[in-house]
Amino acid sequence: SSNPFQRAQEDEWRRRNKTVLTYVAAAAVGMLGASYAAVPLYRLYCQTTGLGGSAVAGHSSDQIENMVPVKDRVIKVTFNADVHASLQWNFRPQQTEIYVVPGETALAFYKAKNPTDKPVIGISTYNVVPFEAGQYFNKIQCFCFEEQRLNPQEEVDMPVFFYIDPEFAEDPRMVNVDLITLSYTFFEAKEGHKLPVPGYN
Amino acid sequence: MSTAMNFGTKSFQPRPPDKGSFPLDHFGECKSFKEKFMRCLRDKNYENALCRNESKEYLMCRMQRQLMAPEPLEKLGFRDLMEGKPEAKDEC
Repeated sequence: SSNPFQRAQEDEWRRRNKTVLTYVAAAAVGMLGASYAAVPLYRLYCQTTGLGGSAVAGHSSDQIENMVPVKDRVIKVTFNADVHASLQWNFRPQQTEIYVVPGETALAFYKAKNPTDKPVIGISTYNVVPFEAGQYFNKIQCFCFEEQRLNPQEEVDMPVFFYIDPEFAEDPRMVNVDLITLSYTFFEAKEGHKLPVPGYN
Repeated sequence: MSTAMNFGTKSFQPRPPDKGSFPLDHFGECKSFKEKFMRCLRDKNYENALCRNESKEYLMCRMQRQLMAPEPLEKLGFRDLMEGKPEAKDEC
């Protein structure tokens, strides 16, 4: 025969166990929700801070229309050209460097020639050094990421139309960056091969 | 250089251009405008700001010959070069 004190104690224990179980379940659900929310939250964080070289939101033609050049912040942009070993094109930049300011659109030219006697399709990717400056380097139009077919003995100009975001001048990490190198690499496009957009990690 | 291995934490994610790729100028239709632009760059010590008229003319040539999607020049960053827009007004 249990006494009333013992029964009250058991009820108290049972109530506390329920409370603990409720908190543990809530924590588990919260962690699950936080893990789902982490991807959009991290993307939002990267967009605002620019960490990791992620795309910065807000780039559009309207922004280009209203950009104000930062004329006292001159940046030297140098150009580099590479071809993969199996691609027999001659590919080179047509200017060694240009001097640009953030917020001003700029044009530069590469030249590619197919010296072989059969048509060759090339596809290019690009790299920006230093990497942190890549987030501010915006290409309006160029020749990358699309197949470019050069007929035998054909030589073409390949323009790059780009600008450096005016926010470049406000970033304290960019204070010492006054040289940006733009590198393009052409690869041969094989028939039927699906080329993924490359990333360097 | 673009094929260098990147050890450590640095990462670079290439992004496609805003308006895609230029069509190839197979027949060199805008070659003379490019040569004028390159000559200007060499004469002006490769300062882009001093050759923006020539780059505007090159892009206009491409638009006229269906080698580029037509676009108002203001949206290509040439608002200050448009006629009838004095410099003082832009700075207001």
